[in-house]
Amino acid sequence: MTVSFDPGRSRDTMQLRVPAALRAEAAQWQEPEPEPEPSPAGRGGARDRYLDLLRALALGRVVLYHNFGWFWLPLVFPSMGVMFALAGSLMARSLGRPALGVIRGRLRRLLPPMRLFGALVIVLQILDGWGPRSDGHPIWWWSELAFWILPLSTPPYAEGLTGFHHVEPGWAAQIVVPLWYLRAYLWYVLLSPLLLRALRRFPVVTLSAPLVMVVVRNVFFADQDFVYGRVWETANDFATFGACWILGMAHQEGLLKKIPQYVLPSVAPLIMVAGFWYLQTRPVDPTVTTDIEAWPIAQALWSFGFVAILLHAAPSWERWPKPLERWNGLISLLNARAVSVYLWHQAALVVAVPLIDPLWSVPFFYHHLQWLLTSQWFTLAVAIPLLGLLVLAFGWVEDVAARRPPRLVPYPRRRGRRRAAD
Amino acid sequence: MSRHQRRRQSLLRPRRLAAPPLRFFMPLSLLACLLALLVLRGLATNEAFHDSRIAISVDKTTVPTELLKGGPVIDARGARNEHPVSYHIPDRTAVLSFDDGPSPQWTPKILEVLAARDIHADFFVTGAMTTRNPGLIRQIVAGGHELGVHTFTHPDLAYQSHARTSWELAQTQLALAGVAGVHSALFRPPYSSDASAMDDWNYPVIKYVGARGYLTAFIDCDTDDWKRPGVNEIVKAAMPAKPGAGALILLHDAGGDRTQTVAALVQITDRLQAQGYRFTTISQALGASGATVPVHGFQLWAGKGFIWATQVAVHTLPVLVGLLALVGFLNFGRFALMLVLAPIHARRSTRRDAWGPPVTAPVTVLVPAYNERECIANTLHSLAAGEHPIEVIVIDDGSTDGTADIVEEMDLPFVRLIRQVNGGKSSALNTGIAAASYDIIVMMDGDTVFEPSTVRELVQPFGDPSIGAVAGNAKVGNRESLIGAWQHIEYVLGHNLDRRMYDMLGVIPTIPGAVGAFRKEALRRVGGMSDETLAEDTDITIAVLCDGWRIVYAEHARAWTEAPASLQQLWSQRYRWSYGSMQAMWKHRRAVTARGPAGRFGRLGLPLIVLFGVIAPLLAPLVDLFLLYGVLFGDAPVTLTSWGGFILLQAALSWYAFRLDREKPWHLISLPIQQLVYRQLMYIVLLQSAITAMTGGRLRWQKLRRTGEVGVPLEAAP
Repeated sequence: MTVSFDPGRSRDTMQLRVPAALRAEAAQWQEPEPEPEPSPAGRGGARDRYLDLLRALALGRVVLYHNFGWFWLPLVFPSMGVMFALAGSLMARSLGRPALGVIRGRLRRLLPPMRLFGALVIVLQILDGWGPRSDGHPIWWWSELAFWILPLSTPPYAEGLTGFHHVEPGWAAQIVVPLWYLRAYLWYVLLSPLLLRALRRFPVVTLSAPLVMVVVRNVFFADQDFVYGRVWETANDFATFGACWILGMAHQEGLLKKIPQYVLPSVAPLIMVAGFWYLQTRPVDPTVTTDIEAWPIAQALWSFGFVAILLHAAPSWERWPKPLERWNGLISLLNARAVSVYLWHQAALVVAVPLIDPLWSVPFFYHHLQWLLTSQWFTLAVAIPLLGLLVLAFGWVEDVAARRPPRLVPYPRRRGRRRAAD
Repeated sequence: MSRHQRRRQSLLRPRRLAAPPLRFFMPLSLLACLLALLVLRGLATNEAFHDSRIAISVDKTTVPTELLKGGPVIDARGARNEHPVSYHIPDRTAVLSFDDGPSPQWTPKILEVLAARDIHADFFVTGAMTTRNPGLIRQIVAGGHELGVHTFTHPDLAYQSHARTSWELAQTQLALAGVAGVHSALFRPPYSSDASAMDDWNYPVIKYVGARGYLTAFIDCDTDDWKRPGVNEIVKAAMPAKPGAGALILLHDAGGDRTQTVAALVQITDRLQAQGYRFTTISQALGASGATVPVHGFQLWAGKGFIWATQVAVHTLPVLVGLLALVGFLNFGRFALMLVLAPIHARRSTRRDAWGPPVTAPVTVLVPAYNERECIANTLHSLAAGEHPIEVIVIDDGSTDGTADIVEEMDLPFVRLIRQVNGGKSSALNTGIAAASYDIIVMMDGDTVFEPSTVRELVQPFGDPSIGAVAGNAKVGNRESLIGAWQHIEYVLGHNLDRRMYDMLGVIPTIPGAVGAFRKEALRRVGGMSDETLAEDTDITIAVLCDGWRIVYAEHARAWTEAPASLQQLWSQRYRWSYGSMQAMWKHRRAVTARGPAGRFGRLGLPLIVLFGVIAPLLAPLVDLFLLYGVLFGDAPVTLTSWGGFILLQAALSWYAFRLDREKPWHLISLPIQQLVYRQLMYIVLLQSAITAMTGGRLRWQKLRRTGEVGVPLEAAP
C-alpha cells in the first residue's frame, strides 16, 4: 500500500485538536504549502473539458431519445437538467461583468440561430398551407409570430398540415419540439442576475424554491386552468429545471465546495429516490410506459439529484484524461455547434422517414430487408448524416452570432492544443 | 476494533495479503447463485414477478365484430394474424376446461370424477403450479386429457410487455417439458372469459400470442365457480344458453375451496350426457390433431434441469430463511444488549472517582513510527500540550523518509528517539517497552493526535490495581469526506458503543492501536507484543484478559486519527483487521476450555466476538439478498418499507450513540447510502478474509501451533 504525500490531510488532523499556539510552531515542520489551486472554472478562456463532455453526452442523449423514445433514457441521463446546470454555471461566471451587457451577449448568441430556423420553418409551413386564416384569428396569428423573434413563450406553429409528399401531417409540431428549451433558457438568462443575488444571500432558500414551486403547482393546481396556458407552461418549465440552473450557479460560485463533502452525495440519492418513487406511484395506462418527461415533479427531483452528483464529482479537466482524448474532435464539434444540433435534430429525424419510405417499393428491400426498414436504428443512421448536412448549412450562424469568423466545420485543427473552436 | 491504518509495507509480510485480482468474484458469484435460487423458488410459489393488477378497458373499437360475436377459440396464427378467425365447438359437444391448476387437493378429485365417466377434458395450467406439482401434470397427461398454457405467474397480460408475455409462455413450456416432456399449443389468457369480452387492451395480446403459434381458447359458459355461488348456480351457469349448442365450459381446479366445483362437475356431466352431449377436448372437438406434442433433446433436458433446480431452490429456502432469522436475532440482540449496557456504562463514566485515587505518576508514551514524515510533528506537538507528566519514546522502525530526522531536529526535551532496523510494529513496540522508565505504558500511532487531557483520562483507571489495560476512544479526524463520514458513523456506532457493551461484560477484545494504555507488569507477564497475527492489538488485549487483568474503556480519552481516505486503503486496512482478528481468535481458542479468567473470556467474550464480529457480518449479505429479491421480483413497496424501518431503527440507535459520544448528528444523513455501499464492502472484505483463512491460512496457523503462547523475546534498544 503506497500512500501519496498529502500535506492537506495532516493539516486537517492537526487543526482538530492542537492548540493554536503550538500550531504555529508546528507549521514550520510542514512542507511548504502548495500554490493555491485555481478555482474550477474561475479562469477565463480555458475550457473545462468535463463540462464539455457532459454537454456532448446530453446532446447525444436528446437525439437518441427523440429517435427511440426509450422511457429509461431520461432516467439514465437527464439531459435537460444537465444542460441547464451547465448553462447556469457559465451564466454565473459571466455575471462578474455588468448584468445588462451579459444578457445582451447571451441573447445575441442565442437568437440568430433560432430566427434562421424560424424563418425556414415558417416559410415551409406557409408553403404547406398555413396562414393567418388557418385558425380564424388573423390578429392573433400575426401577433404570436413575435414569439419567433423573442421566444418569451413557445413560438406558434401549425397543428395540422396536409403534409408534403410522404411527410407526416404533424411535421411542424414535431420539428419545433426543441424550442421549449430556448424559451426556458431565455427566461433563466433574463432572471439570472436576480437569481444570483438571491443565491448569494439565501443559498438554501433559493436552491429549493423552484422545487417547492413545481411540487405546489403540480400537486395542488394540476388540473386547474385559471392561468393562461402559455404562462402556465412557461412557469412550469422554469420551475422544473430552475433548481438545476441555480445548482450550476452555486457550483460556479464555489458554494458546493463550502459545505462538507459528504453532504451532497448523501442527500442527492435520497432526492432522486423521492422523484423515482413519485414516478412509480403515478397512475398507469397499460398501453404506454410511464415516462419521467411527463411528470414534472419526478423530473425536477431526479434531475436535481443527478446534477448534484455530477457537479459534486466535477473534476474540472483542463486537459482530457487519456481515454477520452480520442473523442476530443467529436466533443469539441458538438460543443461548438450545440445550438444548431439541438435545433435541427428533430428536422433531420422527421425528414429521415420519407427518405426511407420509397425503399419499401424496392422489391429487394421489401423481401429481404424488412427488418432494416422497420428498425429505428436505420432511421437514426439516415438522420445523422442529414443532421450533419443541416448543421453544415446553418451552423455558421452560430459563429456569426458569437462574432467569430464563420466556419463550416469547427473541427479542432490541432489536437495538441486541446482548445476547441471558441 | 478501532485501530488505525498503518502504512507499513514491512508489516504486511504475509504474502497472501495482496488481495487476489478476482477478489469480488467468489463472494459475488456466491451471492448471485443464492439470488438465482431465491428467484426460482419465488417463481414456483408465484411470488416473484407477481402482478395482480387487472386491466379493464371500455373500448373495443379495434376488435373485429365477427370475433366478438364468434366462437370461443381464436386462431391468429401465421397468415391469419392480420385477420384472425374464430371457431365454435360443434353442436351436441361439450368441452370441460379447468384453469389455474393443478392443485394437490382438488385436481386428483376432479381427475377421479372424469376417469369414472371416461371423459377427457382440458387443463389450463400455470407454470408455477406445474413446477410445484409435477406428479399431477403427469397424471393429467396419462389420463388422456389435454394441457393448455395459462401463463407462468398468472398476470393480466394487457399490462405486460411483449418480452414478458413471451417469457411467461416460454417458461411455462419449459416447466411442462420438464415434468411431462410435452409442449402445448393451446393458450388461455388469465382473467379472461368469453370472446365478447375482448377489448382494446387485451386484443393485441391475443394477436401477439397467435403470432407465436398459439391457439387462444376463451369459453362459452363461465360458471364463476371461484366465487363459490353454490352447486346449483354452477350447474345452471354451465348449461349452454341454447340447448344442443356446443359449449366450452370454464371451471377451476385451484385457488381455494373447490368442493362445490367437484360436486357440480358430477351434475354437469350427468345432465349434459342425458341431453345427448358428448365430452371431448378442444382439439378433438375442432377436429384438429392433439394440442400437446412431445418434446425431445435439448428442450426436454432444459426443462428437466429447470424443474430440478426449482426443487433444490424450494428446499434451500427454509435454510436461507433460518439464517436470515439468525442474522436478525443477532443484530437485534446486539442492539438490545447495547441499549441496556451502554447507558449504565455512560453513567459510570461520569463518576470521577470510579477508579480509586487519581493517578498522577508520570507515564511512558510509545510512538512507533514508520514513514510518518507528514504527521509525526503534529503527534509530538499534541503530546507536548498534554496535562499529564510523560516521557515519550519514538521508535523509528527503519523509516526511509526521514521521520527520525524530523524528530531529532525538533529536539523536544521529553522525547527519546530509538532507531531500529525495520522489524514491524510489534517489534518496535517491544523495543519501546524495554526502554520504558515508568510502570504505565501508553501506546499510540505515529499519525494520531491526542487532546491535552487524553493521557490523563487514559491512565486514571490504573488507580484500580486489578486493571491491566485501558482502551481509549479513537475518533475519525477527516470526517468531512463521504468515506470519512461513513467511517465516523461506524466508529461511533460500531466501535465505541460496542466497546461500552463489552466493557460492561468485562470482555473488551481490542484496545485500539491508536490509543491504549497497559500496565508494564501485564505486558511482561504475557510476554510483550507478538507478531504472530496481523492484529497485534487484538492479540495482546486477549492475552492480557486471559492473564486475569481487567480491561476498561475510557471514553474521555479521545485520540484523533486519520481514517483511510480511499476505498483502496480502506480495503487493505479492513482486510488486515478482519484477517488478524480471526487469527487472534484462533490463537486463543483454547481459552474456551481453560479455567479461571481465561475460561471466563473463552466462554463469554470469545463466543460474543465470533457471533457479532464474524457470524453476523458473514450472514449479513442475506439481508441484501432478500432486499434485492424483494425489490426486483417480489413486493417492492413492502420490502422497501421494512428495510426503511430497519434503517430508521439503526438511525435511532446511531443518534443515541452520537449523543453518548457528544457528537453532532449531522453525519447521520449519510446512513442510508452507507447501508447501501459501505456495509457491503465491509462484509465482502470479511468474506474474503474468511475464505483466505479457510483455504490459504493453514501455513500461518501451523506456525502458530509451533510457537504456542510464548511471545517473542524482547528486543534490546540499539
